[in-house]
Amino acid sequence: MSYLEYKVKTVPSGLRKVLYLNWALILLIAAAAGFGFLMLYSVAGGTMDPWADPQMKRFALGLVLMLIVAFVPIWFWRNMAALAYGVSMLLLLAVEFMGSVGMGAQRWIDLGFMRLQPSELTKITLVMILAAYYDWLDIKKVSRPLFVMLPLLLIALPMALVLRQPDLGTALLLAAGGGTMMFLAGVSWIYFAAVIALGGGAVAAVLMSRGTPWQLLKDYQFRRIDTFLDPASDPLGAGYHITQSKIALGSGGWTGRGFMQGTQSRLNFLPEKHTDFIFTTLAEEFGFLGGISLLSLYALIVVLCFVSGLRNRDRFASLLTLGLGTTFFLFFAVNMSMVMGLAPVVGVPLPLISYGGSAMLVLLVAFGLVQSAHIHRPR
Amino acid sequence: MTRTPLRPLARVLEARAKGENPDAIERENIRLRHERMRDRMRVRAESRLLMMAVMFVMLFAVVGARMGVLASTEPSEPRASAGGESIVAQRADIVDRNGRLLATNLVTNALYAQPPMMIEPARAARELAKIFPDLDEEELVEDFTGKRKFLWIKRKISPEQQQMVHDIGEPGLLFGPREMRLYPNGRLAAHVLGGAGFGREGVHSAEVIGVAGVEKAFDDYLRDPANGGAPLELSLDLTVQATARRVLEGGMKIMDAKGATAILMDARTGELVSLVSLPDFDPNDRPVPLTEGDPSDSPLFNRAVQGVYELGSTFKVFTAAQALEMGVAAPGTMVDTQGPLRWGKFRIRDFHDYGSEMSLTDVIVKSSNIGTARLAQQIGGDRQRVFLERLGLTEPTPVELVEAPGIAPLLPARWSELSTMTISYGHGLSASPLHLAAAYASVVNGGCKVAPTLVRRAPEPGCAERVISEKTSRTIRGMLREVVTRGTASFAEVEGYAVGGKTGTADKPRPRGGYYEDRVIATFAGLFPAHDPDYVLIVTLDEPTVSALGEAQRTAGWTAVPVASELIRRVAPLLDMRPEIEPGPAFGVKLTGN
Repeated sequence: MSYLEYKVKTVPSGLRKVLYLNWALILLIAAAAGFGFLMLYSVAGGTMDPWADPQMKRFALGLVLMLIVAFVPIWFWRNMAALAYGVSMLLLLAVEFMGSVGMGAQRWIDLGFMRLQPSELTKITLVMILAAYYDWLDIKKVSRPLFVMLPLLLIALPMALVLRQPDLGTALLLAAGGGTMMFLAGVSWIYFAAVIALGGGAVAAVLMSRGTPWQLLKDYQFRRIDTFLDPASDPLGAGYHITQSKIALGSGGWTGRGFMQGTQSRLNFLPEKHTDFIFTTLAEEFGFLGGISLLSLYALIVVLCFVSGLRNRDRFASLLTLGLGTTFFLFFAVNMSMVMGLAPVVGVPLPLISYGGSAMLVLLVAFGLVQSAHIHRPR
Repeated sequence: MTRTPLRPLARVLEARAKGENPDAIERENIRLRHERMRDRMRVRAESRLLMMAVMFVMLFAVVGARMGVLASTEPSEPRASAGGESIVAQRADIVDRNGRLLATNLVTNALYAQPPMMIEPARAARELAKIFPDLDEEELVEDFTGKRKFLWIKRKISPEQQQMVHDIGEPGLLFGPREMRLYPNGRLAAHVLGGAGFGREGVHSAEVIGVAGVEKAFDDYLRDPANGGAPLELSLDLTVQATARRVLEGGMKIMDAKGATAILMDARTGELVSLVSLPDFDPNDRPVPLTEGDPSDSPLFNRAVQGVYELGSTFKVFTAAQALEMGVAAPGTMVDTQGPLRWGKFRIRDFHDYGSEMSLTDVIVKSSNIGTARLAQQIGGDRQRVFLERLGLTEPTPVELVEAPGIAPLLPARWSELSTMTISYGHGLSASPLHLAAAYASVVNGGCKVAPTLVRRAPEPGCAERVISEKTSRTIRGMLREVVTRGTASFAEVEGYAVGGKTGTADKPRPRGGYYEDRVIATFAGLFPAHDPDYVLIVTLDEPTVSALGEAQRTAGWTAVPVASELIRRVAPLLDMRPEIEPGPAFGVKLTGN
């Protein structure tokens, strides 16, 4: 259904839109962010500085942004998709040339008031452009090779730029998000089967190349894989993060040590305790119950996104909502798996909780798009 | 799939007949088709969403389950363990024959730096240079500010030094535990023990390996954990060793010698009770080997084992023993000593002129080169060589020092008759003092061959390998006793211990051929008590000079012998020997004479 078919009269307008917001989703987001403020407060040793306070300000700013984005009709955003994608690609290129180097990788542009991480932005714009593409494309043509190539290129371009930073984690998230979009848009099974087979073959080839003259990965990359498979092999080196966070989770037990009582995180055993590894603090202080609560919050957010996406009869809005929900899901699933030693350590923050401006703002803008799709759905 | 035509002719005609608008049919059909398409799409999308949902739920379940598993595990600190072969921590001690400690281990620390962790490299370098004066501040600053990520500063530091480094408060200065080898007696048995150093080295431990002496020869044993830390028991007696070293050091000074060695060997078992070589070194701090000059001038050089010298007249005993054994001569047999003895261009002279002939006993007692050479002529070169071989004088000694196997006596290229004659009185064949000690022990202990050893060994009953007969041995002992009572080694007399022995003074060879006039190797090969020897003692002085009777004396009788007698006087009581009255004429050389 094209936006021309909207019965504009049935779409709420003006301030009435507030009534049509997905309030449950907003409440869940606020609850998750609240968890984050608590954790940042605790990690800083019971002070608002240096993390909790700016994080709250950013969240407030993000909420305003979210509402603005939500009140703009979804068809405007569909028309903006190509532009947004183009801008984010330009920003990624700009990082190449004028970005700052942080933690060994070049990832952000200093805008003065904040550091913009274009790779975060790309996660949304890629979903937008793919949703717009499949909305434009005749559904009968989605599985034709030519029309499969195009979205693949759209995914590959930002991946390549992100990989150059280098940020393998984000690149893989982009690939997974893009792939999910294609899957939901109805691209034939055959392509996914082929990709999975090729991927499996590539992984096998990489692993088998170890120690041979045609070794495909650097030695340190192999060591990371080793460390992932057996963190105990190098507990003070590459396995340090994982080992320490496992200790934190273990010492949290079922009910946790209590708020502000986590030793692992507060005694500085844990690196990145306020960003990528903040979940360990939560698990240590609130235990299994706290962890599972957060997981449930996240699950509810994803479910709400999916319900909203499913009930939306507009193809762009539906695909966009589902894609953003999936992206959100990938975020926290990868982060939690990483912290718990189920996945290799890649730099992925815990959404809504980890300290970090770009991620928070971008995520709230994404939820703004979801809200916009929700408000302006055809009725 | 059958497609419904958008304008089915039958229905169009029918509608026209009824007067309805046929376009409505088309619109209706388009709508229906769209709805079917949308339904198919929806079914497909829903199946895919279902799949996604299943995957998500599974992932949720996995993450949740993992969380539960981790929550229920006991947290445990990880333990770091080094991969590969483990380094054996404890090296076995070395003790003397009475269980007194010669070598043990001490835990200390190594100091290293990790410059990237340093806060104030310049200050750290300055403070370190204060604590360790041998470190250069500028070099340290260079190392600390350069690209290096890691460097050793000191391999071993004392607890006091460690505390001082701690007090600098520099996080980039770190310590690694080190087990080091400690020789509590310092120089006392330096050449026997050798020394130890670090082998493979890590931050947390280092391998201690023997670098010389018994430490290296028994390296595998000392490091073998299967021995359960049982110490290695040497044949040395620490007290005797200390005394011998002190006496020899004094003697070396008095005799103005540049080197000296003393070997005290159990005459029956070959156990080395004391082995001293001077100058020596502290095995706790082994000096570096000389890179230029003569390696034998280094304190690391073990003269007793590595020093291969022409040992001079001490060899005459072997010639006499062989002559007696073969029946060529008896102690009373008169030997032609008319000199000089010409052999081609070569002349053999005696130190003094002993007249035209003298008895075999006197040849030994007065040390006549000519007489010995005459005997050797009668024995013959082949038989002489076989006999010296049996005494172990032609190959390396089996003593348990890593240096020993490389030290073979220097033999003449061709064992000519002239060689036979010169070897008979100790020239033309070079051997180490340890060779001499073993050969003497074999000759005087009743004729049983002994092998020198540094490990405590129980005496073996019987005679494993006979070198000469009991009777010849007894005769030789009598002659050696007479050398002391009325011959060249008169200074060796120590009352109550019936010392016997033979002197030997050999000119030192010049590096480019020929001999020095004024540099000698003076040797005394002794035994005590002479009638039933328990111990054999070899004292060798390198380039001794002492002024006596108004002139510079270099012969062994003036140099090595007094040192040896002082040594016996001091050491014999420590060896549980009581001064005793010599048996009377029951043991007598003269009985075998005509």
